[in-house]
Amino acid sequence: MTRTGKSKAFVVTIALPLLYLAGVSPDAPASLTLVPEARAVVGAPLTPVSAAGVARRTTRRVVVAESSATQASAATTATAQQQAATAQQQSATAQQQSATAQQQSATAQQQQAAASRPPGAPAVGAVVSALPAGCKPETRNGVEFQNCGGVYYRAAFQGNNLVYVVQ
Amino acid sequence: MKSTVDWRLLAAVSQCFAIAALTTLSLAAQAQSAGIAPEAKQILKASTDFLASQQRFTADTRNTLEIVLKSGQKIEFNSTGRQSIQRPNKLRAERTGDLVDQVFVYDGQSLTLFNPQQNIFAQVAAPGTLEDMLDFARTKLDIVAPAGDLIYKNAYDILMDGVTEGIVVGKAVIEGVLCDHLAFRAPELDWQIWIQQGAQPLPRKIVITTLDLPNAPQFGITVTQWNLQPAFDAQTFKFTPQAGMKQIDFLPL
Repeated sequence: MTRTGKSKAFVVTIALPLLYLAGVSPDAPASLTLVPEARAVVGAPLTPVSAAGVARRTTRRVVVAESSATQASAATTATAQQQAATAQQQSATAQQQSATAQQQSATAQQQQAAASRPPGAPAVGAVVSALPAGCKPETRNGVEFQNCGGVYYRAAFQGNNLVYVVQ
Repeated sequence: MKSTVDWRLLAAVSQCFAIAALTTLSLAAQAQSAGIAPEAKQILKASTDFLASQQRFTADTRNTLEIVLKSGQKIEFNSTGRQSIQRPNKLRAERTGDLVDQVFVYDGQSLTLFNPQQNIFAQVAAPGTLEDMLDFARTKLDIVAPAGDLIYKNAYDILMDGVTEGIVVGKAVIEGVLCDHLAFRAPELDWQIWIQQGAQPLPRKIVITTLDLPNAPQFGITVTQWNLQPAFDAQTFKFTPQAGMKQIDFLPL
C-alpha cells in the first residue's frame, strides 16, 4: 500500500466514529458545496438563534441578496452583497408590500411623492436593506426621508435589521 | 525502513482510537434509544432553576452564526455581547460584530433598539415582565434574543418542549471551566448545552443546529464571563435619546 493510501485510511478510521457521533452521514459528498456562488441568500430565513420549541419558532422574513460570481468568490462580506442587490430584494419582498401598504398610503405627502415618481422606480412599500447610491436626506414634517434620484425611502427596523421602505 | 515502522505505529494508534470511539458511540446509541436520559434532565433543570433564582446578573458572550448561501456554502459570522438582567423587568443587551452593532434596552415599560453606528433608534411600549417582553419582541417585532430562552423563569419547559431524545455526552471544559455536556434532539432542531459543574450550575455554552434548513446551520453562544453580583447604575436599563439621534419605527410583523 502506498504511503498516501495508508495515511487516508488512518484519517478515515478516526473520522468515521466522530462523524457518526455527530449524527452526520459520512456518505454526504463534501464536494457538493464547491459550486461557484452566483446567488446568495443572506440571513434568509435567518438561522434561528433560539432553542425554543418548534411551535415557538418564527419564520424569519426573507432578505434576498444577489451578487455576481466574481464578487462572491472574492469573499465579499454578506453586507456588501446585500448592498449590491437592492433591485432583487424588491421583488422578494412583494409580500411585505401589502403588509406595509396601509402605512404607505397614510399621508398625503407620500401620495404626492408617489404621483411624481420617476419611471422605473421600485414599488411603493418595497423593503430594501441598503439605499442606492447618491441619496440625500430630506426632512418633511419632522420625519427624515432619503431622496434617491426622486424615489423616497424611509428608514425602519424590521426585526433587528435596519431597512428602508420605498415611499 | 523507517517509514514502515511509523505506519505500523499509526495503525495501532488508530485502532485504539477507533475502539474507544466506537465504544462511546455504542453508549451514546443506547442512551438515545432510551429517549431522554433522566440525568440529562436533572442537570438541565438544576441549571435553569439556578439561573431563574438569580435576580441580577451579567453574561459576556461570544456568538457564532452560520448562514447558508444558496450554493450550500456556509459562512460564519461572529459577534460578542454583554447581557445585563435584573428580574423581573429590566434587560440591556449590547452586541458588536460583523453583522450587528446594536444595543437593546428594556426598562420595564418600553423597549428600545439602538444602532450606534447610524445613531438611529426605535422605541415601543412593551409588557411589564421580562418573559412577556421577550414574547412580545419575538411575535410582534420579529426580534429574537439570542439564546433568550435561558432567561425565562420557566426556561426548562421551553427548552424541553418537543424534545424526544437527550443524553449526557460527558465531561467537557469550556473557557477553562469544567462542564457537563448535554445533547438533545427535537423534530427540527438538535441542541447541545454545556453546564458548569459545582455549586453554580451556569450554562456556559449552547449550540443550536437547525435541521429544517439546508445544510443544518448552527448558532452558538459561549459565555466568557458570568457576573452574579453586577454593579448596575441608573443608566444601565434606561435609554435616553441624545441630540442628533434619529428615531424611526419598527415595521409591524
